Formats: sequence, C-alpha cells, structure tokens
Amino acid sequence: MSSSELPRKEANVLKGHEGAVLAARFNSDGNYCLSCGKDRTIRLWNPHRGIHIKTYKSHGREVRDVHVTPDNSKLCSCGGDRQIFYWDVSTGRVIRKFRGHDGEVNAVKFNEYASVVVSAGYDRSLRAWDCRSHSTEPIQIIDSFLDTVMSVCLTKTEIIGGSVDGTVRTFDIRIGREISDDLGQPVNCISMSNDGNCILASCLDSSIRLLDRSTGELLQEYKGHACKSYKMDCCLTNSDAHVIGGSEDGSIFFWDLVDASVVSKFRAHSSVVTSVSYHPKDNCMITSSVDGSVRVWKT
Amino acid sequence: MDSDEEDYVFFGTPIEREEEITNRRKKAAAEASGNLRALPPWKQEVRDEEGRRRFHGAFTGGFSAGYFNTVGTKEGWAPQSFTSSRKNRAEVKQQSIFNFLDEDEKAELEGTLGTSSQFDTFGFTAAEHARKQADKEQKQRPSAIPGPVPDELVLPASESIGVKLLLKMGWRHGRAINDSRASSLYDARREARKALLAFASEDAKAPCPADEPVEEPESFTVQPSDDDTRSSQSLPAFVCNPKQDLHGLGYDPFKHAPEFREKKRLHLLNDKQRGDRKTMSIKDSLFGSKSGKAAPGFGIGALEEYDAEDEDIYAAGYDFEETCIEDDEEPSRLGIESKQPSRLSIESKQKVVARDQGVLPGFKVASVSDYQLERFDPPVIPKDFVPHHKFPGPLETLKKLDVPSPPEVPPPDDSNLKLLIEGVAKLVARCGKLFEDLSRKKNQSNPLFSFLSGGNGHDYYERRLWEEHQKFGDQAKLLLDGKLSPSTQKMTAESRGKLLGEKPLERSSRETTTSSVASGEFQLQFNLSDTFKKPDSFSKLPEVAKPFKDDPAKQERFEQFLKEKYEGGLRSTGYTAASNMSEAARAREKLDFEAAAEAIEKGKRGKESMVPTQPLDFLASGMQFTSGGLEQVENSHAEDLVTKKMYPRREEFQWRPSPILCKRFDLIDPFMGKPPPAPRARSKIDSLLFIPDSVKVAKPEEVAITNRDVPAAQTGAQMTIEDVAEQEIEIVAENVERPVDLYKAIFSDDSDDDVEDLNTKKAQDPEKKTEVATTALNRLIAGDFLESLGKELGFEVPPDTPYSTNKANDLRIETPNSDSGNAKLSTGTYLNPGNETAQDGDSQKSKSIPVRSGGYNSGKHTVGLLNVSGKVNEDKFAQEDKKVKSPSSRRRNWSSSSSSEDERSRKHSKRHRYRSSDSYSDPSSDDREHYCSRSKGKRERSSREKSSRSRKHSKDHKHRSRDSPSRSHRGSEREHSEARKEKRKRRD
Repeated sequence: MSSSELPRKEANVLKGHEGAVLAARFNSDGNYCLSCGKDRTIRLWNPHRGIHIKTYKSHGREVRDVHVTPDNSKLCSCGGDRQIFYWDVSTGRVIRKFRGHDGEVNAVKFNEYASVVVSAGYDRSLRAWDCRSHSTEPIQIIDSFLDTVMSVCLTKTEIIGGSVDGTVRTFDIRIGREISDDLGQPVNCISMSNDGNCILASCLDSSIRLLDRSTGELLQEYKGHACKSYKMDCCLTNSDAHVIGGSEDGSIFFWDLVDASVVSKFRAHSSVVTSVSYHPKDNCMITSSVDGSVRVWKT
Repeated sequence: MDSDEEDYVFFGTPIEREEEITNRRKKAAAEASGNLRALPPWKQEVRDEEGRRRFHGAFTGGFSAGYFNTVGTKEGWAPQSFTSSRKNRAEVKQQSIFNFLDEDEKAELEGTLGTSSQFDTFGFTAAEHARKQADKEQKQRPSAIPGPVPDELVLPASESIGVKLLLKMGWRHGRAINDSRASSLYDARREARKALLAFASEDAKAPCPADEPVEEPESFTVQPSDDDTRSSQSLPAFVCNPKQDLHGLGYDPFKHAPEFREKKRLHLLNDKQRGDRKTMSIKDSLFGSKSGKAAPGFGIGALEEYDAEDEDIYAAGYDFEETCIEDDEEPSRLGIESKQPSRLSIESKQKVVARDQGVLPGFKVASVSDYQLERFDPPVIPKDFVPHHKFPGPLETLKKLDVPSPPEVPPPDDSNLKLLIEGVAKLVARCGKLFEDLSRKKNQSNPLFSFLSGGNGHDYYERRLWEEHQKFGDQAKLLLDGKLSPSTQKMTAESRGKLLGEKPLERSSRETTTSSVASGEFQLQFNLSDTFKKPDSFSKLPEVAKPFKDDPAKQERFEQFLKEKYEGGLRSTGYTAASNMSEAARAREKLDFEAAAEAIEKGKRGKESMVPTQPLDFLASGMQFTSGGLEQVENSHAEDLVTKKMYPRREEFQWRPSPILCKRFDLIDPFMGKPPPAPRARSKIDSLLFIPDSVKVAKPEEVAITNRDVPAAQTGAQMTIEDVAEQEIEIVAENVERPVDLYKAIFSDDSDDDVEDLNTKKAQDPEKKTEVATTALNRLIAGDFLESLGKELGFEVPPDTPYSTNKANDLRIETPNSDSGNAKLSTGTYLNPGNETAQDGDSQKSKSIPVRSGGYNSGKHTVGLLNVSGKVNEDKFAQEDKKVKSPSSRRRNWSSSSSSEDERSRKHSKRHRYRSSDSYSDPSSDDREHYCSRSKGKRERSSREKSSRSRKHSKDHKHRSRDSPSRSHRGSEREHSEARKEKRKRRD
C-alpha cells in the first residue's frame, strides 16, 4: 500500500456521544463499529453509512473499552465501575457481569472462540472470565504486573498485556511461560501486527515501539506525536505497512513501518485522539477523540 | 327380626353394617385358617365357631380370653415332670433354624437357595467324594493300567480365579483353607531353610537349583498312591474338554483337520506355560519327582522334609532367582516332556514329533523355498579410516608446560593488536588449544587475527601464549596441589564431584576473602544449586564469541560473568577483584555483559556441535582471581549505548495457566498431571517481587567487599540480611517444575478434576514449601540475579551517605530519554502531601505501611491520569479522588482494609520494605531535599538552559498556577506517580 492510499479523507462523523469517546473499534468484518465513552454508553454504528444503530446503557461509570465477538453476537465492555459487562448484541441486555477487579478495568478482549473474556485492570492484574459457565469468578488471575495493566491482546495461545510498569508480558498458555519484555517506559497500549509476529507498544514517552515477539528485540521506534498522559491507542494498517497513532493535539500520524518516517500527519480532531482502529480489509479507519466524535476516514 | 323383615318389601340392597356382620364372619373364617396368629397376642380375641366373642359378664372379667378364660390350649396347662439335671445332663441340642420355624415356614424355606456339597468344587467333601467315586469305579472296572487311573490323562479344568488366588496364597488342592500354617514347627523349619538359602545363594550358581525345591516342594512328597494330602490327586476335576475357545457349543473347527487341533493346543499350552509360572510348576509336579531331584538336599535341612507348606510364597527376595530358573528349567522340562510319551497317549507322542520337526504332521519342509532373505552388505570402511579418535585440541593444557619457550619478542607497535594478542593468548592458555583453533577458524578473514595463523605478530603471540601457559600452569598447579593431591589417597566428596564434573562448593576459597560476612548458609544453599548443574554448561564457554576482544580484562570478566550466568552461581572472585571500578560503572558493565550474553546466546542456538572441554579446566579458572580491569575509562564512553541496550529487556518466568483456561482456549494444559503449584497466585508475585530482595542475599559479601570505598554500607547490608532471613521463612516460591512432556499431555485425559485439585491440594507440607522456596530462590537468583544485581549495584547507596548529588548524576546518565516526558511532571513531587505522610513514620514497620499505601494510590492516580480524557468531565472524579487522598483518611482506609487487601498489602509491604530500606531510610527531614535535588538533576537535563533552582521553582509554580485547581491537584498526583516510576526505574 502506498502512502497515497492512506485513509485521510473524512468520510463520516459519528456524533452522539456526550463527552469524550474513549474507544472506537471495528467489528471483526469491519462493517460495523463500536464506540464507548465517558457518557457511560456503548454505541453501535455503521461507519460506512454514518448511522447510529444502537446504544447500550448499563454501565455506571465511563466505559473504557469494548470488544465484540467474531460472530457479532456478544459484546464485552469494561470501565470505571470495575466490572466487565457481557452483552447480547441484538437485545442490548447484559447477560452477565463479571466482578472481581479491585479497580477500574482498562481493556477487555474476547478470545478466539469467544469463550473467555480477558480484562486488564488498574489493580495490576489480568483476569480471564469464563463466558461458557455461569460462574462469575475469574478462571485465571495473572497478577505478576507491577503496575496498572493498560492493554491486553490475545492470540490463539497467548495472552499479552501491556502495563504501566513498562513491561509487555506474554503469557503462553501452551508452554506455561511468562515472557516479560521490559521497555523501560510505561506502556499505554499494545496492538498486534496482523501477521502476529510483532507487537506495537505505545509508550508514555511519546514513542511507539515495535517489538519482535519471538526475540523481544526492539525493531523500531516511532516518534513525533505527543503521548504523555492519556490512554491512547495505536495500530497497524491491515497490510502492516504503516503504523498509525494519535496524538494529544488531535492529529493522526502515519509512520512507515520500516524506516519509521512520518508518512502522513493530519489534524483529525480538536482534542486528544483516544483511539484508532483500522478496517480489517479496506482502507478505512475510525478515530475517536475526547471531543466527543468518532470520525471515519477513507482514502 | 327375620319375621319382621319378611312382611316388608325391600327395594334395593340393604346397607350392611360392616363391623358387625362381615367383620365377624371374616374373623371367624380367619381364625379357622389360623390367620389370626399374625396379630400380636394382646390383640387376639377368643371367639366361638360363629365368630362371636363370649361375654362373661361384669364379674367374670368381660370378654373371655384364652381357652375359655383359662390357658391358650385345649389341653390346658399341665406341669412337666421334673427331671434332675444332675443325672441327665442337658443334651447338647443341635440348634438349627428349623427348630424355630413353624411348619409352613419350613415349607417355604425348602425352596430357597442353600449351599450344596454337590457343587463344592474345592471343598474337602467334594474332593473326597470324587476320589472315592473314582476308586469305586476303578475297582469295578478292570483296567489295562494297574494302579489308580493316571490323573495325567484327565486334565484339570481351567482354574477359576478364586482357585488361582488361593494357590497364590499357598493353598493346595484338597486342603482346608484355614490350614494351620502358623505352626511353630513350620516356622522354625522355614527359618532354617531361609538361612540355608541365604548361605547357598552366596555363590553364583546356587540360586537356580536352590529355588527349585522351594518352588515345587510337593514333588518330593508326592507319591503316586499316597494319602489324602497328595495335592494333585485330591482334586480330580473331571472336565475332560474345558471349553476354552469362542466357538459355539459342539462346533469343532478342527473336525476335518485334526492336525491343526493338536497344533493349536500345543500353541496354547506354550503360551500358558510361558505366561504363568505357577501352572507350569504344577504341571511339572504332575510328571513325577524327577525335576525336583535336580538338587537333592539343597537348601533343606537333613532332618526336614518338604511338604506343601514349605513353599514360601512371600519370599520376594528371590524373585531374580525365579527368573533364571525359568530359563534353566526350559530344557529340563522339555526333557521331561520328551519322556512323556511312555505314559501319555499317542496324541502327545505326535505332539513331540511335531515339536521336533517344527511342521504339521503330514507336511514336509520344503527343500526349496521361494522366499529369499534379502541381505545387505555391511558398509565399506574407507581404507584410510583409522579406528582411533583424535581430539582436535589437547585435553591437558598443563602438559604443554614443558614446551621449550619461544624467544622473547618485542610486542608489535600497534597497541590494539598487542592487547588483542595478549587477550587471546590468555584465553587460549586457559581454555586450551581448542579455543585457538576455533578463533582461527572463525576469524580467518579478519586481518586482525592473522597472528593466529602465522601473520603479523605471530611470534609475539607464541611468546605470550607460552607465558600465559606458564602462569596459568602455576596457578592450576597450585590449585591442583591444594585440592587434588590429598584427595588421591581417598575419594572425598570433592574429588567425586570433580570426576562428575560438578562445581565444587567454593566455601573454602570464599570465606577467606569475605570474612566479614556471616551468611555461610546462604552461600551453601546457592552453591548447592550450583552443584547440581550439569557439567555441560562448561562446554559452552569456549565457543563464546568475544564481544570485548579489544579489552582482554573486560573479556575475562565477561567470561566470568557468563560462567556464573549459565551455571547460575553467585558472583565469585572475579568480580570482587575488580573493585576499583565504581559501582555505577560496574553496573553498567554488567548490563553490557548481559546484552552481549544475550546476543551470543542467540547466535549460539544454531551451532551446538562443540567438543566439550574438560571441566577441570574451568574449575581451575573458575577459582581464579582475575586482576582488576584498568580500562574502566572506556566504559563511560559507552554509557549512552548501554542505556539504549538496556531496553527492551526480556525475562522469562514460569507461569501456570489454570486448566480451565487451557480448556477454553482449546489448548492442552502444559502442567496437566503435575501437582498444583504451591499457592500460585501469591508465590508468583512474591517471587517476582522478591527478586530485588533476594538478590540482596548475594549482596552482603558484595557489599562487604566493595565497602572499601563505602564503609557505611555495612548497616544496610546487615539489614538486608535480616530481610532475607525473614523471606527465607515467608517466601513461598513458585515451583520449578517443567511442563509435562508431550506424551503425557496426549495420553492422559484431561478432566475438570484439575480445577478442584487446585483447591484441594493447596494445603501442602510446609517443609516442602520451604524446600521448594529455597530451590526456587536459588533458581531465581541464578537466572535473574546478575542482571538485576547489576542495576542494583549502580544505585544501591548506603543510607547515610549523601544521596542527592550522586543520584542526580546517575539519573542523568541513566535515563536520558525519560526526562523529556517526565521531568515536568516530577518536579513538584516533594510538595505532594501524600508523599510526605508516606515518609513520616519513624520505625521501619510503620513506615512501610504508608509507603505502601502511597504506592498503591499513586498507582491509582497513574491510571486516573492515563484515563483523563476530558478535562472538564474529569472534575467530578478528581474531587472524589481528593477526598480519598487526604493523608489521614488514606491511612484509615488502609488500616480498615478488608482481608483480601490484607494479603495484598503483605505483598506490598515486602516490596516496599525493600524500597524503603534504600530510598526511604533517610530521615524524613531529608526527603524534601532529596526530591528537590533529584528533580533538580532532572530539571537540568530537561531544560538545560534553566539551571538555577529558584527559577525552576518559580516556573514550577507558574506552571501550577496556570492550571485550574483540580488540574493542579491532578498534576501533583501525576507527579507523584511519575516519581514512583522514577523510583522504579532507579530500582530497576
């Protein structure tokens, strides 16, 4: 993908959230997107047509992260009320609430089979919750982090968490090992490359680091944006050619993956860009911001 | 009444008074049939034929009872005549259940199941009965064979499992089951025989025959027409053709081919004999006493005789003898069988024939067969092959000592080359010729190494090598003289360990150097872990690339470092010797090493085909004191590089996924089948948190040695020792097991039990735990020790020394890129009220709590701040935070914390105790200054143009005043958290 194909044209603005939008996520096929925010709601959109489809209200505090199962049937969300909500997408009802985190929950993800929800909490733990049984107890608590866990990624066999203690820890279920990669800087957000070989870790020293997962090697650093105090997402394009990150001044940065040069940069929002999500197939991207809007970007 | 009724016409059926009429009749009928007996006596009524009760009237007692109000029977009550028991003793009455039953019950009972001697297959009676029957038959029928019918002709039925079990337990056919085995005579005899056996088994050949009588004692007593005790005779089971196949009844698969039947029978027989030793021996006993006489009198007293009881089935000690009997007996049994035909039927004759020929009767072995065995020629050995292996390098470096010395050569002009040559020479001297070959091969293209292959500086290299050999040889000799020569007399644990390639305990050598440290047991523990290391870890060293080639001393230290890293030992002499390095420099160097080691490790994975050098080599060198490096100046240049290399840093730990998680992820539990870990959640954290602490275990000596520059550190060291001692008790470390192997993972079923196991098995032996804990500690230290120690060392400052200046400098050096993000935030840290309360406490204990709480809260704030997204919307929460944050309330919070938090707080306190011991142990009044100065240092870095502190402060205030109140508050929180990060960074 050449840099000209980067999604820089605003296609739609999804307005509806009152207050900051904390996360915006495409679903697995990219036809829909979910956003959640300070107004304690989760909203389901069709970003391509700019339509608001549904609002999910139940959270008592801000909603920090949301994730949807590959079959689009269930949602999980988390936030300031220390619970993970497990939703039914179509009815909009909460199926289950998982309580157990001692603090706010920063991130949440389904595993591949949508049987487990893994949440990352401010209580320095990753917790895995069973969606199949009716138990509301976590089936696994990983508390080897030394500080708040900000972000979590799941592969088929691993749980990866990024923490403010500066580590990205990979928990390999198959071999029962924990691999801790210390970056030395608080890790804000981690995201997997699409080939699964690399981890993109956004650090609070205003740099995004690309790690080789197998060796723990630092492959590249991407700088230029501002990321010092907000939980902000970063991601790779679906072709793994570019790294996308938001900045605290509201602009979006595109870096070349290999030589770490800023390929493109434009001001997308009037305030901090909290989240970016890239379409799994098309050249399309959604960004969310503290200014309360979710914007859809296309080429 | 009857007449009255006839006058009227009744329509319908009159309602009968049940009680009066039907009841009465029924009762009468019932009485007639004796059914009333079912009623208890007090309910029984006496009635006449019509079923009416008789009424005597008020004076005679109401209704009559009994037989006309007298006794129960018609006969009435008649007294028995008295019989004196003096003369006629009461006969012993055989009571049976029939005595107590009535006729009808007896009749009922007839049809029920009962034991019958008819089916008593191994009871005495049955056996006797059968035998008598046989005798009778035999008498009636004139037989061609004189004497009793040879039982061999009649094969016993295949024994039931019960019989087999009984046989195993020593029971013999025809015997009562509870035979008196315990008779003293028997025991005595057995003991005597055992003793004899023990004697006899001294020589190698004895056991086989010795066991035979034990196995088959019957064969001695068994005579063809003996009394009832004869074992095989007592139980003739006349089942001629026990059904052993799976064919239908009456179906004979061999009807038209009887040859095959015989074949098959033989086959079965063989199988059986091979499989079941017991039956074989019994079968053997059938064939007379020949086999038993193989060793007459062996293992038995002259006055004793065998019988069935003598078989000592519990003598498990002779198992091995039995096995050899099996082999030995085979021919003899064959011999017996070949003699059988004289007594057996023609069939068995055929059988023998068949066995001899190996083919079915009626068939012949083909003289020409189509089938040809394909044969392959053995591989041709090349002509120039010499069956003698040459080792690429000399095994014994010491042997080279007598090589004539090469001439003295002036070193080459190039000082770099000189250094290189010297370094290589030293290494070669230490690691053997192998190393030289290796490096020559590796650096073939490198012109710098041309001296290895006769290029520039070759003679100088030769000379140096010789010198090093001399030096090294002396050292080694010293060591060998000291260690080995006394041990040649006798094998000590040390020498044995040396032979096995274990690393010896270095206690002796170390204690001389570190006399001030009284932590002998710690050393011992760590060295124990070393002792179990395999010697092959040594072999890795020679192939190590040399990242510090230009710096031989450093390279040497690096090697030392590697050795310790892979062996997992404590740092030993090499490092302590280089004490003229500053701590920071040393730490940095260590990081350097770490990085290099990692790189090497990576590269090494591909090529693992090195001949291991002898461990002795390394033992010798491992003990050696290496001279201190002179090249420390160079290190400072590389500092920036080092900090860059520092991150990212990879560590690996064990982690145990819960079985259900594995299930949900559709993976095989790597720990399946392993016992659940010692309370996993805690241990993991603890051991992780303890890494810095446990590292200190090693530190005392370190400190003691390095204290030459910093004498005041002693107290700190002592404190850490105490800490560590506490941890020794408290720590419950992770277990060190490895994941189950693949085989197990596949073939053992996974079940949900594991989940429960996790809970149930948590209670474990405390001793075990501590054991695990110590080993785990050792391991942790082995693995993570050096790297963390390196960082530790650089920043570990004794509590009393002025801390600010060093610190600032260090920090400046250490975190060059962190400042840009953090400096602004951390400037105001010292003003944070929360932080101050954290340091208010005087005693160590009380201090740890607020510190911990501070840490916890700061963590919270970190998140809070990270999630700050709307500055306006944030206010609400910020205020909430504020409420919580006032120092007093925070403390209250913690004192009233729930139990769940209690445990966590324990964890924290451990972690923070350490922290407090180094950074917070200063009196609290100093803290402000520390923070000032620290922030100053950073400040200077971040905003270089602003150097004056007052200006910075003013800027600080400006910065704060610019913000809204809530924001400024948050700012301080942020600073707090940043400060914590700083702290952590420093600690790391």
